[in-house]
Amino acid sequence: MGPFIEVVLGGLMAGVLYSLVALGFVLIYKASGVFNFAQGAMVLLAALAFARFSEVMPMPVAFMLSALMMVGVAFLIERLVLRHLVNQEGIILFLATFGITYFLEGLGPQLFGDNIYRIDLGMPKEPKIILENMFDGGLLINLEDFIAAGIAAALVTFLAIFFQKTATGRALRAVADDHQAAQSVGIPLNRIWVIVWSVSGFVALVAGMIWGSKLGVQFSLVLIALKAIPVVILGGFTSVPGAIVGGLIIGVGEKIAEVYLGPIIGGGIENWFAYVLALAFLLIRPEGLFGERHIDRV
Amino acid sequence: MTVSATIGDAITFPRLLEKHAVERGNRPAIREKDLGIWQTYTWSQVREEVEALAGGMAALGFKRGDNLAVIGDNRPRLYWAMMAAQCLGGVPVPLYQDAVAQEMVYVLQDADIKFAIVEDQEQVDKLLEVLLQCAGIKHLVYDDSRGLRNYLQPQLFSYERLIALGREFNIKHPAYFREQIAEGKPDDVAVMLYTSGTTGKPKGVSHTHTALIHTARVLVKFDGISEHDELLCYLPMAWVGDFLYSYGQSYVTGLCLNCPESSDTVMQCLCEIGPTYYFAPPRVYENILTQVMIRIEDANPLKRRMFRYFMDVARRVGIKILDGKSGISLIDRMLYAAGELMVYGPLKNVLGLSRIRVAYTGGEAIGPDLFNFYRSMGINLKQLYGMTETCVTVCMQKSGDVKLGTVGPPMPGVEVRLAESGEVLVRSQGMMKEYHGQPEATKSVINAEGFFLTGDAGFFDADGHLIIIDRAKDVGRLADGSLFAPKYIENKLKFFPYIKEAVAFGDKRDQVTAMINIDGAALGDWAERRNLGYSGYADLAAKLEVYALISECIEKVNLDLAADPKLATSQIARFVILHKELDADDGELTRTRKVRRNIIAEKYAVIVDALYSDVDHCEIEAAMKFEDGRSGVVRADLRIGSAKTVVGSEAAAGRKAA
Amino acid sequence: MSAAVLANNSGDAVLETDLNPTRRKIGEVILALENISLAFGGVQALSDISFDVREHEIRAIIGPNGAGKSSMLNVINGVYHPQQGTIFFKGEKRQQMNPHKVASQGVARTFQNIALFKGMTVLDNLMTGRNLMMKTGILQQALYWGAAQREELAHRAKVEEIIEFLEIQAIRKTPVGRLPYGMQKRVELGRALAAEPTMLLLDEPMAGMNVEEKQDMCRFVLDVNAEFGMTIVLIEHDMGVVMDISDRVVVLDYGKKIGDGEPDEVRNNQAVIDAYLGVQH
Repeated sequence: MGPFIEVVLGGLMAGVLYSLVALGFVLIYKASGVFNFAQGAMVLLAALAFARFSEVMPMPVAFMLSALMMVGVAFLIERLVLRHLVNQEGIILFLATFGITYFLEGLGPQLFGDNIYRIDLGMPKEPKIILENMFDGGLLINLEDFIAAGIAAALVTFLAIFFQKTATGRALRAVADDHQAAQSVGIPLNRIWVIVWSVSGFVALVAGMIWGSKLGVQFSLVLIALKAIPVVILGGFTSVPGAIVGGLIIGVGEKIAEVYLGPIIGGGIENWFAYVLALAFLLIRPEGLFGERHIDRV
Repeated sequence: MTVSATIGDAITFPRLLEKHAVERGNRPAIREKDLGIWQTYTWSQVREEVEALAGGMAALGFKRGDNLAVIGDNRPRLYWAMMAAQCLGGVPVPLYQDAVAQEMVYVLQDADIKFAIVEDQEQVDKLLEVLLQCAGIKHLVYDDSRGLRNYLQPQLFSYERLIALGREFNIKHPAYFREQIAEGKPDDVAVMLYTSGTTGKPKGVSHTHTALIHTARVLVKFDGISEHDELLCYLPMAWVGDFLYSYGQSYVTGLCLNCPESSDTVMQCLCEIGPTYYFAPPRVYENILTQVMIRIEDANPLKRRMFRYFMDVARRVGIKILDGKSGISLIDRMLYAAGELMVYGPLKNVLGLSRIRVAYTGGEAIGPDLFNFYRSMGINLKQLYGMTETCVTVCMQKSGDVKLGTVGPPMPGVEVRLAESGEVLVRSQGMMKEYHGQPEATKSVINAEGFFLTGDAGFFDADGHLIIIDRAKDVGRLADGSLFAPKYIENKLKFFPYIKEAVAFGDKRDQVTAMINIDGAALGDWAERRNLGYSGYADLAAKLEVYALISECIEKVNLDLAADPKLATSQIARFVILHKELDADDGELTRTRKVRRNIIAEKYAVIVDALYSDVDHCEIEAAMKFEDGRSGVVRADLRIGSAKTVVGSEAAAGRKAA
Repeated sequence: MSAAVLANNSGDAVLETDLNPTRRKIGEVILALENISLAFGGVQALSDISFDVREHEIRAIIGPNGAGKSSMLNVINGVYHPQQGTIFFKGEKRQQMNPHKVASQGVARTFQNIALFKGMTVLDNLMTGRNLMMKTGILQQALYWGAAQREELAHRAKVEEIIEFLEIQAIRKTPVGRLPYGMQKRVELGRALAAEPTMLLLDEPMAGMNVEEKQDMCRFVLDVNAEFGMTIVLIEHDMGVVMDISDRVVVLDYGKKIGDGEPDEVRNNQAVIDAYLGVQH
């Protein structure tokens, strides 16, 4: 029993990290209908910035500065890209985010260097053994993972309240619902887009910090961030809870598959499991677990 | 305390108000949802408000013996106005708020109304419209001033102005309010309720404080009602049920009334308040069930299966558990508990019925499926029998001893006797004083021994529970002399979810025929599921598929009737589905939605003739009143359907096979 | 052709004329359009149109389909910028401005094809109507702090008044997309009212409604005008309804003004009669 629980816990922790990146996708998709392929690149950029800033200044200042930088990035994306593509097809906006991806992937290392950088958030690194008297040999857990999960939970709660309860959150939802109607009641579209991209930049920063502190900040973050795509397919593109649950399912699923199926059908399941699961979901429930089903009334 | 000294047996509603203001001044007396928030008024606040209101009315000249017309939805201010009138020794006369202006004229004249308090512009407009016919109306007070800003009629007075006037008056005459209350006697008339009258003009039923308070107290004892109960007032204030169960009970026990935001939000308010004590006519329960079933049909398959499974469990053991019977297996009890957790509980919660201790229904027969649905979920739903003239409460089913198809045994203190003709006669303390201004009419319904002639035909079963079959005068004979109880047949038809109203004909005829009113919502849903296109109610009603469905329902009723030798001849041979809903605005139903059989027979004489000939369709023109008071004509060509009838032995065989 | 024919042809005459005989006082000119011309490419949508709107009045713009009514509304609203002509609003000459700017000057509007947020509740939709009045910053809102919270509650209270006014309490929490058409129209009116505008532009508020819904809408339009003194400019192609509730009527046909005046005047105007009979079905 003990080892199994360890596998599940390990999976959950990985899942939390997937969820955080997926959250960025969902936020932008909800508010602007844009599938933002650049989310992974934003994670990398934010993590790089934070890592390098924190080398020369106290951590809170580095955090503030990185957050400001992400707001700046959001502002530029709106000014230089989105503003010119108002009322274009979704696919065009999607392709535009490809461009943004490559740009950011180049910009990050250009500005901050392309080595592997460490982020030390001061979280306890040593594994701990708990519940020794309940299981044989106890459970080996990583306190860092729990703190990361706590941070993620706090972030999600904050976002949920922000979206549901505040005037800006309502304006964001309004824009997500109908651009033109939003304009007509005097909601400034451009400002809203800056806010959305800033918020998802902020989420990217938090995700980047946690990932960075676990794995080190390096280019491969972009690839891991790709895992967020099956997560949002699973959870539904428009659902914040979906992003969370989807991340957890994929995290746990792939760990269990790796440990228990790996010996039978060969290793490396972790690399493709998420995508196969997403594919299966596209067949059975294309709107995802929590997504809004589109029913067109006749 | 001087207040409690005046209370003893000499109880009137105003004295009860004084008592509650002293004994539970800080407890909630009435709540109202206003601008999205429930506002609570305590007993002492209510007393203060009523005193000011009474002062205002007195200042305008309202005096002992005057009548106050009250028209509107259930609003605290209207309830307070009724109390203020009673405090001054006057009589509140609530009117049905959805009646059109001309329908109000009779009551306004008959009750000699000088004062009226109404809810809003809509009601003000109606009264202004009939002002020439009811010149007696000197003061017209309105609660909601919206849209009335520029009305200049001298009779108009806003509620706020009346209260301000009252406060001034009370400063000048500080003792007036108490003196007036002290002067009130228990045998004074407390309220005048106009019966909707299945036939003829409405009659004003006068009830004394004693009769109402006594009846309310019997109920309190019967079902253990206390100040901790909560209820939602949503039934018309003009109906005796609302007066007794809402207004009356709140003053007798000190419980809290809740007024919904508007008549459209009743379901939501029900859910928010979670009343413990509830009254609704069968059609309300039916609407709720229909909504539930529609939502279940839309739910995902898992939920649907779960619902079906646990409703089966409930049908099997729910009622026994509710009645505290023994002999239920442990597994069934556990299954029922699981159902409560997963299905009944959440469902009751959504419907706002989760805190119900006791729920009543009456006024019409309730279908067995409908009745059992609620009871099996653990809602203590009970039938009662009564009428305006007897303060409702004649018979009521006892908690734990509920027999389907009966209305229960007579209430404590109520004598029920059956006349030769089968007519039910009632004598109790809750008897009305008189029909206002109609001594002849009063004499004709109360016999020398003080029994009230209900006009209903019924009989007692072996356990002493009363069964009502029909109005005594409506029980007719077929041409061959056999019994014909139209309402009994109609009710059996109406128990089918697809049939909203039915009218049976057969008196002095050789066979029974029926007019059917389909339920647009239920059948619309049915049609949608079968991909049956239709353009509207009339089109749907004329569909062959619908005729086939209704004919199936009728054949089931025929099978049922055939089983009883007395009623076997009453099987329905031919029927027609009406192209429009029967409507109270067209005079086809009473305001309490009972069918007016004679008026319908007259209005649709063409159809009735066609039913008793051998044609297979008939053309009809019907006058229709729209809500704005205009009228138009609707033409339609109706098909006549026929249904199989069975002979007694076939019925027995059919039952065995089924 | 006599006026009687016209009245008969105007569809369902719904209202008795003097629902509200002594309405508010009509004030000074609040909006004046002078010699407005608007063309799209080679198509002349509006040519040389002048009229004014007085404070507290209900001003209708009517005309057959394609007469240029919507273009006119869009000019007032700032969506279109006329090539010629001047607009005076509250006595000042208006510069070219976008709809957002016009909205912030106290002009709210509804649309012919309802532009509500279908996925949001009625309450949220009405709250967005107050967006322009929200003063607190995003950071304060994010933390739902003091002023932001108080502001939110104050706006909610105002919106609740509108909910009561329009009698839509029962659908407060219902997503707009699930409501029937007539109800959505009412919610859209509510959202415009939530902005507490001085002038309300209604684009075919009764289009596609049944008799009863039209009646309700008429009542609300009259009540808005009477209770809040709001100036209302509405366009309709159904003459019947408009004649009953408007103080003055402008008639457009093919982008030209062919009539202007009180309903009775307009009804007897030969050019108007001809224009309407010309498009009889």
